[in-house]
Amino acid sequence: MKLIRHVLLRLAIGIGVLWGAATLTFLMVNVTSGDAAVAILGGPDALPTPDALARVRSEYGLDQPIMVRYGRYVEHLARGDLGESYRLHVPVAQAIRQQIGPTIRLAIVAAGLAVFSALLFATLTAGRGRSVRSAASGLELVISSTPSFVTGILLLIAFSFRWHWFPAAGNEGWRSLVLPAVTLALPLAAVLSQVLRSELDEVLEQPFIAMARARGLSEAGVKIFHALRHALIPLVTLSSFVLAGLLGGAVIAESLFSRQGIGRLMLDATTNKDIPVVLGVTLMAAFVYVIVNFLVDLANVAIDPRLADEAR
Amino acid sequence: MICLSARRPIVWLAAALLAAASLAGCDDATSTQKSSPEARAAAGSGVYPASDYYEQTPGKPGGTLRVSVATDTGSLDFHAISDTNSQWLGRIIYDNLVYLDDKGQITPWLAKSWTISEDGKTYTFHLRNDVTFSDGTKFNAEAVLVNLEHMRDPATKSPLAAAYIAPYVSGKVIDDYTFEATLREPYTPFLNVLAQSWLSMESPKAIRENPGKLGEAPVGSGPFVVESYTRQQGIRFVRRKDYHWAPDFIRHNGPAYLDRINVDFVPEAMVRYTSLAAGQYDLTIDAPTQDAAAIRSSGDLVFDAKIRQGNPFRGLTFNTSKAPFDDVRVRRALALAINRDGIAKVMGFGEFAPKADFLAANTRYYDPAFRSVLNYDPAEAGRLLDQAGWTGRDAAGYRTRNGQRLSAEVLIYGALSTAGTVAIQSDAKKLGFELKLAVLPVAQLLQRRAQNDYQALAGGVWHTNTPDGLYILYDSHEIISAKRIGQNASRLSDPVLDDTLERARQSNDPVLLQKLYSSAQERLTELVPAVPLYENYSLIAYHKDVKGVIFDTSHNTPFFTSIWLDKR
Repeated sequence: MKLIRHVLLRLAIGIGVLWGAATLTFLMVNVTSGDAAVAILGGPDALPTPDALARVRSEYGLDQPIMVRYGRYVEHLARGDLGESYRLHVPVAQAIRQQIGPTIRLAIVAAGLAVFSALLFATLTAGRGRSVRSAASGLELVISSTPSFVTGILLLIAFSFRWHWFPAAGNEGWRSLVLPAVTLALPLAAVLSQVLRSELDEVLEQPFIAMARARGLSEAGVKIFHALRHALIPLVTLSSFVLAGLLGGAVIAESLFSRQGIGRLMLDATTNKDIPVVLGVTLMAAFVYVIVNFLVDLANVAIDPRLADEAR
Repeated sequence: MICLSARRPIVWLAAALLAAASLAGCDDATSTQKSSPEARAAAGSGVYPASDYYEQTPGKPGGTLRVSVATDTGSLDFHAISDTNSQWLGRIIYDNLVYLDDKGQITPWLAKSWTISEDGKTYTFHLRNDVTFSDGTKFNAEAVLVNLEHMRDPATKSPLAAAYIAPYVSGKVIDDYTFEATLREPYTPFLNVLAQSWLSMESPKAIRENPGKLGEAPVGSGPFVVESYTRQQGIRFVRRKDYHWAPDFIRHNGPAYLDRINVDFVPEAMVRYTSLAAGQYDLTIDAPTQDAAAIRSSGDLVFDAKIRQGNPFRGLTFNTSKAPFDDVRVRRALALAINRDGIAKVMGFGEFAPKADFLAANTRYYDPAFRSVLNYDPAEAGRLLDQAGWTGRDAAGYRTRNGQRLSAEVLIYGALSTAGTVAIQSDAKKLGFELKLAVLPVAQLLQRRAQNDYQALAGGVWHTNTPDGLYILYDSHEIISAKRIGQNASRLSDPVLDDTLERARQSNDPVLLQKLYSSAQERLTELVPAVPLYENYSLIAYHKDVKGVIFDTSHNTPFFTSIWLDKR
C-alpha cells in the first residue's frame, strides 16, 4: 500500500515538473514581444509575401490572445503534438523521431563504456597505497576537467586523420561510433571512477571484508565479490548526472564527428532560431529526466524500502 | 540568401591544437604561405576565365564523389526555403526554365526560346518536349503553371521564390509545350530569377499529390535523383541515365559523369579541412578560409574562391530615417572611417577582396568607376563630423554636439561575426563615434525592424544573379512595414534612385540598362545607406583528381553535371 502511494506521488510530481517545464518554455518564447511570423518565414534575410504572413499568423494562432495560445499549446502537448518546425517544414515530433535513434545508440554505448571503465579502473586502484590512489585521482581530475571537444579533436587527429582507424564523420557502422562514444564516455568515466573508488576504499575498511579476507579469499575476490556490490549503490543515484552528461555531451560529440542526432538537431535549431524544435527538444529532455528520476527512485526504494517512508 | 557563418570558436582552438600536435603531421596546416598575387587579383576583380563555366573536354563516367558541406538546408523543396546551399543542390536535383551565360545573358534550358511582348508584360515560353521528371511525369506547359502556383501558394510559406515572382499575375497553357506568363508590370529580372534554383521545376505530380513530402523526397528532372536524405547527416544522389537536357551553355551532352554523389553535413570547419586533406572527401563546399593557404600550397588540393553576384557583404546598414544617421555626413563619415582592408583580412585570411561600393564586381552592369569613393579616409571622416557639428569631446573621448554624445545602437543582424562587428566598433571609436552593440532574440529584432525602432543593423548580404538586388535593398517600395516585409532596412527613400532603379526594372535595352545601373551605383555612393565591407564568396576546395569542375553562372557555386573523377 505504502509503495503504491509512493509511486503515485512520484508520478504526480513528474507530471507537475513536465507541466512546469512546458509553461516556462511557453512564457520564455511568448512574453518577449516580437514578430514570430517573420521568424517562421525565414528570418531577417527573407522576403515573405503578405499572403504568406497572413497564412502563418492564423496557422500558428499568432493573431490570438496569449491565454488562448497557451490553452492550445497545452492541449497540443497533451496529444503529443509539438508543433511544426519553422525550418524543416515537418512536425517537430517527426524531426525528433528521425534523429533520436543515433543519439540513443551513442548514449548507450558511451554510458556502457563509462561504467565499465570506471568499474575496472576503480577496482584496480582502490585499496592500494596512497601514491597509487593519488595518481589515479589526479588522472581522473585531468580527464574530467578536459572539455570534451578538446578530447574529441585530439582523438580525431590521432585515430582518424593520422592512422585512419576510424572515420572522421558520419554514423554508418560501428566504427563511426567509437570515437564519439569515447569522447562522451571519458569525462563521465573519470567522475564515476572517483566516486566508486572512495566508496570502495570505505567498504574495504568494514569488518565483513576483514572476515572475507580471514576466510582466505584473494584481494581481487574480496573486491569483486564483496566490496563492489556495496559500492554500486551510489552509482544508481548518479544516473541523473550521467544522463545530463550524455545529453549535453551529445551536442558537442555529434557536431564534432558530424553525426546525426538530437544534439545536432538542437544546435542547428538554435543557430537558425527554429523555436518549435528548440522547445520540443527541451521538453523531450525534461521528459527523459522525469522518467529516469522516477526509475531511479523506484530502484532505490526496491533496494532500501525505508525510503518510501521518508519520501512522505 | 541567408549566409550562415560556419565559423565557430571551436575552430580557433582546433587550429591551436593542430599547430601544437606534431602527431597530426600537420605541416600543411601550419604553413603560412600566402596565396599568389594572381589569385588575390582574381579574387577582387570578379573576372574569371570563360573556361570556368563550361565543359572543356569530355570526362570519364563512373565513380562516387564524396562532398562535405557545413550545413543542412533542412528541406529540399527550394520553393519553400531560402538557404544558400539550395543553389548548387538545386542544380543536382532540378532544372530551370532558363540559364545565364558567363556574361549574364539569358540562354535556353528547359525553355528552348521565349518572346516578350512589346509592353514587357507577357512572356511566351516555348518548351522542350523531351524532358521527364524522375517519377515519369512529362515536363510541359502544365508543369510550369503548377510550379509557379506552388511558389506563390501561401501554404508553401516561401521566403524567397514567391517574392521573386511577385509581378506574376497569371499563367496560361497555350498548348502542351507553350506557356504564357502575364505580369502586372514590366519586370525584366523575371528571366534572371527563373534561372535560380529557388525557382527550379519540380514534378507537378509530386506537388499535387503530396506537397508535404517535397522537402524530404523531392522529385525533379535534374541529372541526379535523391536516393535518400537523412537530416543532419547527408544526401545520397544517384545518376539519371536518361538525362540529356543540360543547359546548352555548359556544353555537356547526355547524363552526368558521376554514378553517385554523397553529400555529408560536416559542421566543424577544421574537420572539413582535415577530412578533405586526409582523403575522406573529394570536395568541400564552405572551404575554410583559414586553411586556404595550406590548401593552395599542398600539391594535391585546389582552393577556389569566387565572388557571388549581387550585393557585397555589408558591415552596417544605417537607418536613414533616424538620428544620427538621417544626416548623410554622419553616414559617410562612418563609412570612411572603417578600415575594410583589415576586416577583410581578418574575416577572409587574405581571400576576401575589400569592397567600398554597392554591387558585386561580377554582376552584370557593374561599374567600377565608383569603387574608391568610400575608401578608408579617417581624416576626411573627421572633417565631415566637424562639419555636421560634432566638434566637442567628452571625458571618454567621444565626440559631442550641444553636450550630447555621438552614439548609436547597432543591432547585430545576420552573418557578420562578432570579430567583424567589434572591429567596426573599434574603428568607430577612433573617430570618436560610440557604437553600442546589441544582440536580440530574432523575433524581437524583426519587430523592432518592422516598427522602425533601430538606428543601425550590423551585417547582411543579398546575392542574386541580377543588379536588381539594388532595388530589393534600396528602393523605397521595399521599406519594411508591419504589413509588408521588404529588405530595404536602411529605409532609404530617394526619388532619384527610385526612378533609376524602377526604370531599369522595366527596360530590356542593354545600353540604357548600363546607363541606369551606373547612375544608381554612383547615387548610392553619395547616399551611403550602408557600409559595404567585402565581396561575398562561394568557397570550395577539392582534390586534383576531381576534374571538370565548372561553376554556375548564377552564383558561382559548383555545377556537378560535368564533374568527373580521374582516379588511378
